[in-house]
Amino acid sequence: MFNKRLYITIFVLLALILTAGYYSITNGVYPITFSQFYESVFRIQPQQDIDLVLFELRLPRLVLALLIGFGLGVGGAVLQGITKNGLADPAILGINSGAGAFIVAYMLLFQGTFSGDQLLMKLLMPLIGLVGGLFAAAIIFLLAWNRFNGLDSQRLLLTGIAISTGFGSLSMFLSLKMKAQDFEMATVWLNGTIYNATWTYVLSILPWFLLVVPFIIIKAYKLDLFRLQENAMKGLGIQVEKEKWLLMAGAVILVSSCVAVSGGIGFIGLICPHIARLLVGLKHRHSLLVCGLVGMLLLTVADYIGRSVVAPAEISVGIILSIIGAPYFIFLLVKAKV
Amino acid sequence: MYQKKLATYLIISLSPVLFALVTLLSIRYGATDTSFKDIFAAIFHYDADNMQQTIIRSSRIPRAVGALLIGVLLAVSGALMQGITRNYLASPSIMGVTDGSAFFITISFIFLPKLTSFQLLSLSFLGSLFGVALVMGLAAFVKNGYSPVKLAIIGTIIGTFLSGVSSSLASYFQVSQTMSFWYNARLHQIDSLLLTLVIPFALIGIIIAIFLSKSVTILSLGKDLATGLGQKTRWIQLLSMAAVGLMTGISVALVGKIGFIGLIIPHITRYLVGSDYRAVIPCSGILGGVFLVFCDVISRFVNYPFETPIGIITSFIGVPFFLYLIKRRGGGYQRV
Repeated sequence: MFNKRLYITIFVLLALILTAGYYSITNGVYPITFSQFYESVFRIQPQQDIDLVLFELRLPRLVLALLIGFGLGVGGAVLQGITKNGLADPAILGINSGAGAFIVAYMLLFQGTFSGDQLLMKLLMPLIGLVGGLFAAAIIFLLAWNRFNGLDSQRLLLTGIAISTGFGSLSMFLSLKMKAQDFEMATVWLNGTIYNATWTYVLSILPWFLLVVPFIIIKAYKLDLFRLQENAMKGLGIQVEKEKWLLMAGAVILVSSCVAVSGGIGFIGLICPHIARLLVGLKHRHSLLVCGLVGMLLLTVADYIGRSVVAPAEISVGIILSIIGAPYFIFLLVKAKV
Repeated sequence: MYQKKLATYLIISLSPVLFALVTLLSIRYGATDTSFKDIFAAIFHYDADNMQQTIIRSSRIPRAVGALLIGVLLAVSGALMQGITRNYLASPSIMGVTDGSAFFITISFIFLPKLTSFQLLSLSFLGSLFGVALVMGLAAFVKNGYSPVKLAIIGTIIGTFLSGVSSSLASYFQVSQTMSFWYNARLHQIDSLLLTLVIPFALIGIIIAIFLSKSVTILSLGKDLATGLGQKTRWIQLLSMAAVGLMTGISVALVGKIGFIGLIIPHITRYLVGSDYRAVIPCSGILGGVFLVFCDVISRFVNYPFETPIGIITSFIGVPFFLYLIKRRGGGYQRV
């Protein structure tokens, strides 16, 4: 089935991402000209300092922004699909802060013991994060689920808000017990940033992406069926509850591993599915990929804004996104018919 | 009915004892323990060379009194808001009041750094009104926007937005440190001069609240009924919101945002004394004051010898309660 609009959209998005990526990688406190970039990338005339800036500082950050944008975008789309709630977002639902709190606890418990082996500690972080994320998601859904009405969408949001306040306070509390530099790290979790990106972080979340993203893409057509009534789905021979929990676990794993390296970046999971739907329509098997691409673009641009507005200082990307995302959320709320 | 009356009388008549007890507790215990003898001496024949007495006078007493006052103000604000909106989730921290106030204070610190305390207080007051107006105004555009859950969601999102704007402005103008004060309330840095300045305004707020309490009881039965009984509902609501703005504005200007007091205390109070706001409003105030001083004492010991921001303590207690309310009540209206 050839879908022209889909391919054009994907092509345009990819072009935009490349442009934004190039712009973000060459601009900053230490600007790099096109010829320097070209010579360094194609190893024509590599210079050590430019290599350092490009490959050790900016490129991991860009790659991380792309990965996280993709993960949060797709995760948000899946969550919105399952809960049939256009306002669902991993941050608003408290999954981010659950993962964050577990990671802060992990850092507190094991601070010092990994001193010789930072690599292992960083590689384990996404795992801890996703335990926390799954835990938070379980609490939220159990509390919002009701024998008579199923999953009440408004109650879901409000429970999420409460849970995320609770886990936020927990992280804050735990982080106050830490040493000063660990405390800095922990405040990062509360706001969300990819300021300290390294290749290790990229490496630590990549396996989860390789595991979960194909799974979600394969299951995408089932997300379309979730728009049906549950009885109709059962009639089609789908094990509704099982599929729901599987997809949900996938989304939570994806989101939590992102949170493990970037902290609570909100609103990407909220905004992307809506934009993707505007661009390519309702079908998840089309929109899921577009959603990820929009997420990549959004996070790259937001990160660039965050680090260039107050350069050489930075505003964390989570704050930038909350300034963009909150009005959009209100707009959706005004438009919503529920 | 009799039991509720009794509870009301008990709470009100015991309030001086309760206040004195928790205040003493709060003055006595902390990073360094003082003795009751020192406290007595510091109050009645103060000796400036005695370190214990200096600590008591300059730090412990303002802190205890401040916590008490703020607890009273926030709880009374919450009770008023829940009464006039018939919304069981209404409270200063959920419906944008504290956020608006903290936002205005941050902005004023950036653009008008040489404010007097009184101007700061007025800005904080305007900010709380701005916050409520923003949330209520937006709710008017949302379908079914005044339902408790929708209002709470809008309030939270507005809060996120305003704090995002404040913190990016703060890092742009490099005043993040000053700003974080208002967003993570710190009772131990309370300004005793500002505290003495605000007491008359706080009293005005409380008196308005008590004066309105009878009308609020009628209004809490339903707007139509209240209008039918000849009440000028619009005026009652406006006056109540002004009082809420004043009281919340004062508490944010003093120590910053403290959540959940205004939500939990009125619920507990109604459980104890019934739903007559002539009892609910004063009793909420009393219980709120006692509760916040108590939380403040706990906050010194959970991570001893370091202080824990009081917002963390109140949210540890408040979040489970909040979840319980959502689970129990769902999204509809009912008399609260």
